[in-house]
Amino acid sequence: MKRAWIMLVVMLMPALACATPVRIGSKQFTESVILGEIARLAGREAGVQVVHQRELGGTAILWGALEHGDIDAYPEYTGTLTHELLKNVAPDADIPTLRAALKPLGIGITDSLGFDDTYAIGMRADRAAQLGIRRLSDLALHPDLHLAFSNEFMARSDGWPGLRQRYQLPQTNVRGMDHALAYRALASGAVDATDLYSTDAEIPYYHLRTLDDDRHYFPHYQAVYLYRLDLEQRSPAFVQALNKLAGRIDANAMRQMNALVKMQGKKEVEVAADFLGVQPDRDGTGLWARLLQRTLEHLRLVLISLAAAVLLAIPLGVLAARSKRLGHLVMALSGVLQTIPSLAMFVFMIPLFGIGTWPAIAALFLYSLLPIVRNTYAGLTGIAPDLRESAAALGLPRGVRLRRVELPMAMRSILAGVKTAAVINVGTATLGALIGAGGYGQPIVTGIRLDNIGLILEGAIPSACMALVVQALFEGVERWLTPRGMRLEARQ
Amino acid sequence: MPIAHSACPDAFELSAVHKRYGAIPALDDVTLRFAVGSTTALIGSSGSGKSTLLRVLLGLEWPDQGEIRVDGQTLLPAQVLALRRRVGYVIQEGGLFPHLTAQGNLALLPHHLGWSKDRIRQRAEELATLTHLPLSVLERYPVELSGGQRQRVALMRGLMLNPDALLLDEPLGALDPIVRHELQDELKAIFDQLGKTVVVVTHDIAEAAWFADRMVLMRNGKVVQDGRLEDLCQRPADPFVTRFVQAQRTLRGSP
Repeated sequence: MKRAWIMLVVMLMPALACATPVRIGSKQFTESVILGEIARLAGREAGVQVVHQRELGGTAILWGALEHGDIDAYPEYTGTLTHELLKNVAPDADIPTLRAALKPLGIGITDSLGFDDTYAIGMRADRAAQLGIRRLSDLALHPDLHLAFSNEFMARSDGWPGLRQRYQLPQTNVRGMDHALAYRALASGAVDATDLYSTDAEIPYYHLRTLDDDRHYFPHYQAVYLYRLDLEQRSPAFVQALNKLAGRIDANAMRQMNALVKMQGKKEVEVAADFLGVQPDRDGTGLWARLLQRTLEHLRLVLISLAAAVLLAIPLGVLAARSKRLGHLVMALSGVLQTIPSLAMFVFMIPLFGIGTWPAIAALFLYSLLPIVRNTYAGLTGIAPDLRESAAALGLPRGVRLRRVELPMAMRSILAGVKTAAVINVGTATLGALIGAGGYGQPIVTGIRLDNIGLILEGAIPSACMALVVQALFEGVERWLTPRGMRLEARQ
Repeated sequence: MPIAHSACPDAFELSAVHKRYGAIPALDDVTLRFAVGSTTALIGSSGSGKSTLLRVLLGLEWPDQGEIRVDGQTLLPAQVLALRRRVGYVIQEGGLFPHLTAQGNLALLPHHLGWSKDRIRQRAEELATLTHLPLSVLERYPVELSGGQRQRVALMRGLMLNPDALLLDEPLGALDPIVRHELQDELKAIFDQLGKTVVVVTHDIAEAAWFADRMVLMRNGKVVQDGRLEDLCQRPADPFVTRFVQAQRTLRGSP
C-alpha cells in the first residue's frame, strides 16, 4: 500500500512540474510585446508550455515581478540595467559583467538578441546618400543642415548638448519639435536630421538612415532576455530556447516587425510567428468571448475589493463615530490613502502581493475605504442627538441601539458611500491591466500603445456601462434597504 | 402633594448635585426629593437646568459632585439600564425613531427583552385605549402622524413596561394650543389613573399648576422655590419668582 502511494507520487511529479507553465512578461510598448511573443513561441516550439502576460506597465513592475517570481522572464535592455536597475555597475558594462552582477539576485541574462534600441540620429536615406553622410562625425562637414530634435532630447544633458560637444557639431539651425512632427518634417525635407529610437517603426516607413555612432556617444541599450535562474532546473528547455534567440534579431528585423504592428495593424503573434517561421497558435477569440472574459475579470476585481472594504470600513466608521479622537485618526488615515495616485498604489502593492489579480484587489480595497468610512461616520453622527438619547433612555444596551436604531437610520448614507466606492472602483480597476490583472483595462492599454481608438473603446465603453449598471443597482438596493419611514421623511 | 413616609424611601433623591457644561452651571448644589407616587412640575426659563435634572435622574448625564438615589439606592453606572427600564421618558418632539412604525417603536424594548409578539400587541392595544389613540395609527410611520399622535405614541412607548415612574421633558412644548389643551386634560387623567411617580418639565406655569400641586422653580441651575402655586404667588422666595409668575400670567391672561 505504502509503495503504491510512492509510485503514485513519483508518477504525478512530472505532471505537477508541467502543470505550472513558464510565465513571460512584457512592458507596455510594442517592441517588448513582440519580443514576449517571440519568446513564447520559441518556448512552444521547444515543447514548453509558456504563457505571456503582456503589457505589464513599466520597468519597475516587470523587474519587481521577476524578482518575486511572479514572472519567469521578460525582455529588457542593457542600458536600463546599468542606468536604473543595478547599482555599482559601470554605465557601459558589457553583458558578461551584467551576468555576474545579476547572478546573486537569482537572475540570468541571455546574450544580446542582435540589436540596440537607443537614441540615434536619422536622415532621409536619399538625402544622406546625396551628401555622403554615413556616420555622425560626417555631420561636422555640413554646418548648414537643419536639425530638429524632440524636446526631451534637446533638454537632456545626454541628448543634444552632449552630442554637439562630442562630435564638435557646428550647426546653428537647431530647434525643438514634437517627435511625431519631426518625422513629418524630415519626410517633407523641411528638416535634414532628427533624433529617433534606433528600432522605430517609422525608420523603414519614411526610408530613413540611422547614422553610425562612430565615437560611441549614445549608451548601449542592447536587447536581452532576463530570466530567473531557477528556470534552469525547472525548464531547461525554455532557457535553451531563449539563449538560441541571441544574435538572431538585427535592428532592421526589429524595425520591420515594429512597423508591421504599429503601421499595418498586424497582430504581434502573427509577426512573431512569421519571424520564427512557425504557425501562430491563437487566432484570437471573438469579440463577445473576449468581452465576457474581461467582464468576469473586471467584476471579480470590483466585487471582491468592495466586499472586503465594506466589511472593514463600516466597523471603522462606527468606531470613528464613537470616539472623537479615533474618528479624526481614522478619517486622516483613509484620507491619506485616497491621495496616493492610483498607478502608484497599484505598484506599491506588488512587493506585498506580486502581480496579477490580488495586488489590484488590494489597491482597490484601500481606495474603497474612505467613501464608506466617511459616509458611515457622517450617517451615524448626523443622527439627531435627542433621537440617540431616546434610544439610550429606553434602556437598550449599546449594541442593540447600534443595530436596531443607529445603523438603520444611517443606512442611506452608508449605502451612498458604498455606491461611490463601487463606481470609483469600476473606473480605477482598468488600471489593473498594467499589473497583469486583466479586465477592461487590457484593451485600453493595448489601444493606447497602438494608438487604436477602436481598441480603447472596446475597454472604455463596457467600463462606462458597468459603472452605470452598478449605479442603478445600488439605487435599487438603496430603495430596498432604506426603511420606508426614512424614505417618506426624505420626500417631505 | 408629597407626603413624607419615613418608612418608605423616596422614588428619586438628589443631594448636593453639581453639574457644569464648561463654565456654565446646569445644576448648582441641587437637593430635592420626589416621593413615590407624587407628581411634581419643574418650571423655569430655558437653560435653568430643569432638563439636565431629568437627565441625571436617568443616568444620561452624571453629576460632577453629589449623589443621586433611586428608591433609596445610590445610582451607579452599572444599574442604569435596569433603572431606565423602570422609568418612562418622554421628550418634546416625542423622540420616535423615523425608520420604525409606531408599533415598531413601541416593540423595540419589549422585543429585546424577549416579549412575544402577542404580548407586545396586547400591551400596545391597552395603552392605545388609555391614550385615546386609534389602533390603525399604530401601523404608520412617525412622519405620517400628527404632533398630538406622536406625543401619544411616545407616552405609550414610555409606558410599555409599566414603569414605576414617568419623566416628561416639555412633552407638549411643540403642539398647537388646541391639541395641547386637549392633551393636558388627558395627561392629567392618565397621571391620576396610574398613580405613578411623575416629574414633568415645562416652562408654562399654568400647565404646571394643572398637572401638579408641587412646583419647583429653577434658575441658573439652582432651586429658587419649591412649593404650591399659592406659595409662589403669595410668598415668593425672591423677586424673580414674582416676575416669572406674572410674565406667565399676562400670557394666559387675555381671554
